[in-house]
Amino acid sequence: MPNDLAIDIRNVQKRYAEHVAVRDLSLQVPRGTVYGLLGPNGAGKTTTIRMILNIIVPDSGTISLFGQPHLTEGATDRIGYLPEERGLYKKMQVRRVLKFLAELKGVDGKVAEQRIEEWLERFGLKTPEKDWGLAKIDELSRGMQQKVQFIGTLLHEPDLVILDEPFSGLDPINAQALKDTVVDLKARGKTVIFSTHLMDNAERICDSVCIIARGEKVLDGVVSEVKAAAGDRVVALSTGGNSRAALMPILTDRTLVRRADDQNRFYEIELATGADPQELLRRVVATGAPVQRFELVQPSLHQIFLERVGATGIEEGMQGHG
Amino acid sequence: MGKLLVVFKREYLERVRSKWFLVGTLLGPVFFALITVVPMLIAAKTKATSDVADVVILDATGIGMGRRVAEGLHARFPDAATPAVRNVDPASVPREEDRATLEVRNKEHRGYLVLDSATVAGRAARYAGRNASSLGDVEIITSVVRQQVLAQRLQADGLDPARVNALTSTRLDLQTSKIGDNGREKGSGISNVIFGYVVALLLYMMIVLYGQTILRGVMEEKTTRVAEVVVSSVSTDTLLAGKIVGVGLVAVTQVAAWVLLSAALVLYGLPIITKGMTPDMMVAGSAKAAQGSGAAAALANAMPSISLGTGLALLAFFILGFIFYSSLFAAIGAMVNSQEDVQQASMPVMLLLISSVIFMTPIMTNPGSGLARTMSLLPFSAPILMPLRMTLIPVPWYEVLGSILGVVIACLAAIWLSARIYRVGLLMYGKRPTFGELARWVKYSN
Repeated sequence: MPNDLAIDIRNVQKRYAEHVAVRDLSLQVPRGTVYGLLGPNGAGKTTTIRMILNIIVPDSGTISLFGQPHLTEGATDRIGYLPEERGLYKKMQVRRVLKFLAELKGVDGKVAEQRIEEWLERFGLKTPEKDWGLAKIDELSRGMQQKVQFIGTLLHEPDLVILDEPFSGLDPINAQALKDTVVDLKARGKTVIFSTHLMDNAERICDSVCIIARGEKVLDGVVSEVKAAAGDRVVALSTGGNSRAALMPILTDRTLVRRADDQNRFYEIELATGADPQELLRRVVATGAPVQRFELVQPSLHQIFLERVGATGIEEGMQGHG
Repeated sequence: MGKLLVVFKREYLERVRSKWFLVGTLLGPVFFALITVVPMLIAAKTKATSDVADVVILDATGIGMGRRVAEGLHARFPDAATPAVRNVDPASVPREEDRATLEVRNKEHRGYLVLDSATVAGRAARYAGRNASSLGDVEIITSVVRQQVLAQRLQADGLDPARVNALTSTRLDLQTSKIGDNGREKGSGISNVIFGYVVALLLYMMIVLYGQTILRGVMEEKTTRVAEVVVSSVSTDTLLAGKIVGVGLVAVTQVAAWVLLSAALVLYGLPIITKGMTPDMMVAGSAKAAQGSGAAAALANAMPSISLGTGLALLAFFILGFIFYSSLFAAIGAMVNSQEDVQQASMPVMLLLISSVIFMTPIMTNPGSGLARTMSLLPFSAPILMPLRMTLIPVPWYEVLGSILGVVIACLAAIWLSARIYRVGLLMYGKRPTFGELARWVKYSN
């Protein structure tokens, strides 16, 4: 059923002189879903995205967009792309930049002008007092520039929106606006792909995810299935007071705990093979630490990521979750 | 095609709309007028004033040669006082020269002229003065001295002094015209030289200015990261093509505006300038024919004789030269990450361009030489130097065609190379690539 897939990547490979950026990658993104492309920096996310957009050509393998080869004339016009490295023509007027971007995607000039007005108003860039559409890009604040960039991504009403590290550099207000827009896009039947190394964001927003590391797919699937498959060998533990020191001997006991993510007052604990959660609870209570939460849970994406990718797959600059 | 048009439109309109384009377009003709008219006025002024005659003559000949030369100079500049003549003993010449030097330094005179036995023998005279580097002034002094040496000899041979004066008094003005394949052409040879020079310089200027505009444009897209969005919608080849065509047409627009504005300036401005000149000054300037028939005739005569074929060839060379250099500049723009890198990275291309300009003067003095021939056939200098040669002398058609063919091939090579570097470099951030890395870019450009 190729028509149900927004993107169908088959056995794609991209090799540079020094290293293999993407190795035999296959992934399918169903239409109308929010899809997370997760992985540490340098994992090959941006290379994959650039191949989808036909910015770079894979050495081997095929990519289809909505059931058509992505090299088909105009195929990439159905994609809206927000790159990780953002920027616009500094000396150009906002309206002209937006019209240029829309026309590049094949939107008629008149239609583009009309949509630009709607978007400027929606994002508060055009108010009765001030019309920022007449300003030059470099006269805008950073937050406003990001809004303009985002408008440029969506102006041609793409069926597929690709956001590369969309949350990096966003202030909380713009980040919220972005999340709202992603949800809204999904509600209108669009497909959204975004790459991130921020697992908390991905866990909340994505229907499906694909984790890649060192150019290879580590796992993919629907988020709930991925988590269920990882089992319930994880304990969420919360304690009050200053009990950290008392808990340390337990958390470092490798017969009981395989790994513990110490978040100061909250611990995500993965049990060792064969360990009994009741035993863990008993020993925690025995320390006298006031237990606020003790729950057998599915592991977070963050945990799964750490386990599957491992510390070696995480390069510098990887900041855990945020 | 549609996307090419969108890219082209942005490149063209954003630049034509800018303040700097307007300023440059309006000020260009004024600038050109200044660099052509002002030297003309200055030349006319210095010739007409009696500065040349404001000299001291140190006469060590003992036969009154100094007085003769003084009268000769006076005859040339009747308005000026007759130059002072000091009869000096050959032995005291150095002392007298020191004294004269002091006077010139104190601005009592413009310079001094030493005449001695070598002058009488027709070998040498010496001139020292503030205007010693002015070719025109020196030329006048030389001709006067030469004339008087001749007159003195004729007189010494027994000719009547009055006869001698009548015989030796000449003031030759050499009028030149060019002979091409179609016979004698109207217009002076000089105006062709000026035209050729202006065309070559204009080609060079436009290629440098707008080539670097392309470089900056590419670098802007790269450093602001806007390139990433743009190339997700349009191929890098289309982007590069749209950019070169767009900026190229900006250059053409500017030149066209300059030509029109200059023509207007000459038609309406020249009469105003020439009104202030005496006929004598007009002779000194280039607008010789303006003496009787006014500015329009002067303009017609000053116009170089350019055939349609030559005009088309000029246009072809401009377009090809622009494409060649701007694609190289685009590749450099895609290579660099900061303004500091630009100077260094564009050096090789600038050297190619500058080498064409360095050879302009030798080629102008001898457009038929082997050097001129070679440089006008080499693809990197042909776009500037072949047009220069073509305006100076008739160049065989096969040389022109060969030159154009060479540039076309060079263009294709430059486009091929640049498109590949551009494609990779545009999205490659970080340090400037080494030659090894560049070679890899070209190899792995998809």
